[in-house]
Amino acid sequence: MNENLFASFITPTLMGLPIIILIIAFPNILFPSPNRLINNRLVSFQQWLIQLVLKQMMTMHNLKGRTWSLMLISLIMFIGSTNLLGLLPHSFTPTTQLSMNLGMAIPLWAGAVITGFRHKTKASLAHFLPQGTPIPLIPMLVIIETISLFIQPMALAVRLTANITAGHLLMHLIGGATLVLTSISTPTAMITFIILVLLTVLEFAVALIQAYVFTLLVSLYLHDNT
Amino acid sequence: GEGSTPGQPGVLGGAAFPFASPRFQIQPKPKLYVCTIQLEQQYTRGAPLGLRPSGSYSNTTSRENCFYASIPPSVDHPPATSSEFCASSREEKKKIARRKQKRTPCSLLARLVSRHLPLAPAVCVRGHRDAKPAAWTSADHALTGGTFCRRHSGVLQATRIFHTGQPRLAPLPPLPEYGGKVRLGLIPEEFFQFLYPKTGVTGPYMLGTGLILYFLSKEIYVITPETFSTISIVGLLVYVIKKYGASIGEFIDNLNEQKIAQLEEVKQASIKQIQDAIELEKAQQALVQKRHYLFDVQRNNIAMALEVTYRERLHKVYKEVKNRLDYHISVQNMMHRKEQEHMINWVEKHVVQSISAQQEKETIAKCIADLQLLAKKAQAQPVM
Repeated sequence: MNENLFASFITPTLMGLPIIILIIAFPNILFPSPNRLINNRLVSFQQWLIQLVLKQMMTMHNLKGRTWSLMLISLIMFIGSTNLLGLLPHSFTPTTQLSMNLGMAIPLWAGAVITGFRHKTKASLAHFLPQGTPIPLIPMLVIIETISLFIQPMALAVRLTANITAGHLLMHLIGGATLVLTSISTPTAMITFIILVLLTVLEFAVALIQAYVFTLLVSLYLHDNT
Repeated sequence: GEGSTPGQPGVLGGAAFPFASPRFQIQPKPKLYVCTIQLEQQYTRGAPLGLRPSGSYSNTTSRENCFYASIPPSVDHPPATSSEFCASSREEKKKIARRKQKRTPCSLLARLVSRHLPLAPAVCVRGHRDAKPAAWTSADHALTGGTFCRRHSGVLQATRIFHTGQPRLAPLPPLPEYGGKVRLGLIPEEFFQFLYPKTGVTGPYMLGTGLILYFLSKEIYVITPETFSTISIVGLLVYVIKKYGASIGEFIDNLNEQKIAQLEEVKQASIKQIQDAIELEKAQQALVQKRHYLFDVQRNNIAMALEVTYRERLHKVYKEVKNRLDYHISVQNMMHRKEQEHMINWVEKHVVQSISAQQEKETIAKCIADLQLLAKKAQAQPVM
């Protein structure tokens, strides 16, 4: 049972060859590039969606922040599609691996912070001290703000990992409960199955929301620093 | 040739393919809708193994897709679209290009593999359901056993040319509007057609049911907790797609139509503007034809003005002359009158001077006598 529970999270290999690269690269082919004026439905739909997301997300940035548009939109598309694909049976979700999420979070956060420090040094340093703090508390508050700053990438990565992993685990566990209960008492199994269905709906939502949250936070860090 | 004994697989340099007997006739080309690698079978062509994973291929079934992948058109079909007309000349150009191409390692690999695995990855690029393949040329000679005669060319799209030379990006061939027909959302219709002659309508379903039961009973597919999550996820997906699929499709079609409508509007506005300009120009040209009226009127005006001035001056002259003449006449009249008056005054004066006192008395007495007479006459005749 333990082995089975975590089996879906091990790095996938096929006959000794790591196919994790292919799995990470797979969502790319689900987003064909539009090469005509009027495209097929898939491409048109994606174009419309991306435009919507772009408008919603990048209006609050200034010119310097908008240079990050490509990065942020690719980020949200990647995380969203990877999470949604992970809901398919027997599939592997790269975003369950902390390594990958750290690899996404740390460079983006560091880029935003370093940009801020480079171009607006005083303002970036000023973030360490909220307005209107009483003077005796200043040293402690600076320390706390520093810690909160450095925890941002960790929080980004761990949030995404934990949410997706927890969702997958819950689905597996409740599925297991349903499996066991079918032979014990069918009505209870039905109830458990209904719970599973509701959880699935939640998982779909979580998949998209987490992508959104990740990207939004990165863009927020960016906004603070440009 | 066809010399092998029936039932025995031909010698293929090592690979024994069970269906490779001459008896096994493949019916018109199974349409295998699996996206895999197309092997290069041409020996003289040096084109590399081309795999172009592209989402747009997943829905296309048209012939034109072949031409985008530079597959030559079949000889049997008359060209149905303009892209096919282009393709024939494209093919010639490709032949020339191919001859000049070098033998890359990919092509050598392809040749090597193709010698030993003639039919194994025998799949086609998605979507050329209508195209019959061109004849297999040089690969025939390389394989002993004669198992691959021309009528088997339906199985392996052997002579398809794939990605030779530069892809032509403009004009793009038209994409089909709708994807191929599928049953149960997964299995293409052609599979059912393929099985129909042998197993009828229920054949594929029996096959599917049998396979599923086989996998379940032999525990090749194990029922795990994941099975239940699969059921819930797939059930949810199917429900959502059945319920909202059509409306989303319409919405997307609307998006495209709006785009087209916008551009159409611009085009129409431009056309209208130009048409208005043309009409304006024509109207102005017509006006130019009538410009002579204007000039005539002006000429007339000027003539009239001249006439009027002339007559005015004439009149003025006349008046002046008359004025002078009148002056002279009035002078004359005045002199005449003056003379008359003078004469009359002189005559009166002298007459009055000539009247003596006695004459005056006589005259007055005569007047009184006359008056008395008159008075008597008047009394005699009553006044009416």
